[in-house]
Amino acid sequence: MILEHEIPNGSKLYFGKSAKLKRHIEQVASEILDANGYEEIVTPIFSYHQHKSIADERELIRINDEKNNALSLRADSTIDVVRIIEKRLGHNTKEKKWFYIQPVFTYPTTEQYQVGVEFMGEKNLSSVMNLTVEIFEKLEVKSLIQISNMKIPQLLVEMFDALEIDDFRHINIDKFINLKEEWLTKLVYLQYIEQVDEVMAIAPKAIADELLKMKELCEQMQCDNAVLAPMYYAKMLYYDELYFRSIVENEVYARGGRYKNGELTSVGFAIYTDALCEALEKEEK
Amino acid sequence: MLTVALPKGRIAKETLEIFETIFGDSFKFDDRKLILETPKFRFLLVRNQDVATYVYHQAADIGVVGLDTLEEQGLDVVRLLDLRRGICKVAIGMKKGEKLDLTKPELKVASKMVNITKRYFEERAVSVEIIKLYGSIELAPLIGLADMIVDIVETGTTMKQNGLEVVEDIMTSSTYLIANKNSYIAKKDEVLDIYEKIRDVIQEENKA
Repeated sequence: MILEHEIPNGSKLYFGKSAKLKRHIEQVASEILDANGYEEIVTPIFSYHQHKSIADERELIRINDEKNNALSLRADSTIDVVRIIEKRLGHNTKEKKWFYIQPVFTYPTTEQYQVGVEFMGEKNLSSVMNLTVEIFEKLEVKSLIQISNMKIPQLLVEMFDALEIDDFRHINIDKFINLKEEWLTKLVYLQYIEQVDEVMAIAPKAIADELLKMKELCEQMQCDNAVLAPMYYAKMLYYDELYFRSIVENEVYARGGRYKNGELTSVGFAIYTDALCEALEKEEK
Repeated sequence: MLTVALPKGRIAKETLEIFETIFGDSFKFDDRKLILETPKFRFLLVRNQDVATYVYHQAADIGVVGLDTLEEQGLDVVRLLDLRRGICKVAIGMKKGEKLDLTKPELKVASKMVNITKRYFEERAVSVEIIKLYGSIELAPLIGLADMIVDIVETGTTMKQNGLEVVEDIMTSSTYLIANKNSYIAKKDEVLDIYEKIRDVIQEENKA
C-alpha cells in the first residue's frame, strides 16, 4: 500500500530552509556563470539519445513516444545540451558557453539536481574547472580536487596485454604493481604535483605527454588543494582526456572533463546540488 | 589516521597479528569493546557482512573481508590486496550420487548467497528459483526444499556429514584488503603505505 504522504525512493523533496539553500547554490552559480559570459539553457526532460552518455543502459528510465520509438528521461545533460546547441540552434547562435540548472533521472526513481556547464569548442579544461573553484569559494565550501586523465588507462591497456579497462574501474593496484615496471609503480603512487617530473622522466613518451597535461592543469588551477590520480577511470562514456572531481569525504560535489561530440572538442562539468545542499545544511547546524 | 573495519572472529585476530608484526606493538581490543584506538589507526570490530558497507560509506577507510562477501554485495570499493588467508570455495552441493543437470527447465537452489548464485546460473542461461536461507543450508536438499545448494566449502566435512557432495566449484575466495574509493584518492600515501607493509608480510609468509 502506498501511503498518502509517501514519495518514491530516491526522489527529492526540498522545502523551507533546504529549498532556500538549494536556490542559494543555484543563484551563486548562475551569477558567477553569467558574469563569465555563459548563457542559460533548459533542455527537455525526454530524450532520444541518453544511451550515448550512460555506460549502463539499465540506469535509464525508458518510455516510448507516440510512434513507439524508445526514449528515456534525461539521465545526463551534456550530450543533449551539446547536440541541441550544435544541431538545432547551430545557425541561430554563435554562443559557445552554456550552463543549465536542471535535474537528471535514473532508474527506478532517483532524481539528482545539477548545475552544469559546457564550453563548446574549448580544449582547455582549466577554463571551466576554475569556475567550480570560484563557485565553491563563494559558497565557502572547501573540497579536494582530483585530477585524472582518461587517456592514461586507455594507453596502459594498449601497452600491457594483462590489463583491461575494468582493472582501472576497480583500481586493481596489486595487478599494476605486479607487472614490475618501475615507472608504472611510480604512476600508481603518484599523488602530488611535485612528484610528476620524476615519473615523467622514466615513463614512455606517450604516458609522459599525458602526465604533462595533468601537471599543466594543476598549475593553471586557482586552488592549492589538489591531488593527481592517473589510474582513475571515469564511468561516463564521453570523457576522453583530462578529467576532474571535487570530493569531500565520501561525497562528490562536482566532476567534469574534456569530451568530443563528433569532431568538436569541448569541456564541461556538473555540480551536484543535492550533495552540496546536504553539506551546507550540516554546516549550518 | 586511517580507520580499519575488521570482521569479528578469526580474520580480525589474524589481521591484528599482521599489524603487530609490522609495528611491533600490541593490537588488542579490550573485552567487548568495538573500537580500538592506536596512534595511527582506529580499528572497528564489525560483522563480516558489514565490512564492505562501512568501507563503501567511508565509516572506515580500509577493511578486511572475504572475496565471496565482496562479490555477493557488489559494492564499489578498491580491492587492494589478496591476503591469501581464509581460503575457501563457493560451490554447488547436491545429495550424494546426484548429478548437476543444467538442461532441466527449472532448478531450485537454496543459498545465503543469492547474487553469486543468480549470476552463475544466468551466465549459463539456466532458469533457477533461488530460495534465500540464513543458515543450515545443507538441510534444503535433504527435505526436498531445493534441488541443490550454493554454499561456502572449506573442508567439505559439513556437506559430507549431511549426505551431500560438491558437484561444481563456482569461485575460490580468500580475504582481501579493501579501501574506500575517495579515501584511496585523498589519503593515497597512507593507504599505499599500509598496503605495502601488509604485502611484504604476506610475501614473507609465502616464502617461508
